[in-house]
Amino acid sequence: MKLKKKLIREIIIILFISIVLGFFLNFISPKSIPLVRDDSQRFEIDTSKVKNVDLKKQRGKLDKDGFYRPVNIPIEAAKQLFDEGVVFVDGRNPSEFNEGRIKGAINIDYKTFKDMTKEEKQVLMKDINKEQVIVSYCSSDSCEISIDNAYEMARAGYNDVKIFLGGFKEWKQKGYPVE
Amino acid sequence: MKIIENKYFIIALRLIVGGLFIAASVSKIFNQEEFSRAIYNYKIPYFDSLINISAIIIPSLELVSGVFLIIGIFKRGSSVIISILLIMFIIFLSQAYIRGLDISCGCFSLESVGQKSDILQRIIEDILLLIATVLIFKYSNKLNIQEKSI
Repeated sequence: MKLKKKLIREIIIILFISIVLGFFLNFISPKSIPLVRDDSQRFEIDTSKVKNVDLKKQRGKLDKDGFYRPVNIPIEAAKQLFDEGVVFVDGRNPSEFNEGRIKGAINIDYKTFKDMTKEEKQVLMKDINKEQVIVSYCSSDSCEISIDNAYEMARAGYNDVKIFLGGFKEWKQKGYPVE
Repeated sequence: MKIIENKYFIIALRLIVGGLFIAASVSKIFNQEEFSRAIYNYKIPYFDSLINISAIIIPSLELVSGVFLIIGIFKRGSSVIISILLIMFIIFLSQAYIRGLDISCGCFSLESVGQKSDILQRIIEDILLLIATVLIFKYSNKLNIQEKSI
């Protein structure tokens, strides 16, 4: 009985220290987060359920932070943009990219891209016009890189970025061109 | 089961489990943002509002109980906390594995976020760690009593 009480006391002490430490570290951390995760912004412009394909390709709104928000598009819009010769950006790492990708896609590895300055990003993407449509994708809808990479590009001054969330997995399943 | 009851065997287990938990916490402790995303990627049903609280508290729970296991205070409390964490990880990983989610498990470091990782291997590792932790819990107590009676 005494042991049980001691155990409960130990657990409470550890929990208490960890909670205090956790909140303190989150407070001083450069990558701190709010108490509740907010994903509402990421899918603010979602055209995946719009019926008219032309509307799906519409450009995002100018954000108050001074960039055009990427638009979430479904596979049929992605395919149509692909047929029009739009640039596809693959955000996965080079080895995954080399294993297989949407035909003609270029590789911008999110992990290195996110740490670049705006100028460095623009140098890397110098062949792409700022007003040109860009489709960002990654492996599948369970990876977040397509969204994050799209926002990185939008913030770097690319004004018409689309997110194709289904990614390489959905593209391949449909039997669309890969390489 | 003489080896298992051996004092030094249990100490070795404490050092291994504690060390691994400290190592696992280090990369997350100042990177709440990416750890939150790693948890989000598991797509755990009905868990959304708890994601960030977990991302804030889990790394320090790992750190604190890992340190306590190594220095040898609150051993039983720490092993209970570590066991609960491991059971949680095993459940989360298993549901991701069953549903065939393409995630990084985010268990040891955040390096591989967004990449495929071998979920099954992680599940097995966590089960082994859980067995070690249960042994620590069971025999830390016994050894203490033995020591006292001597």
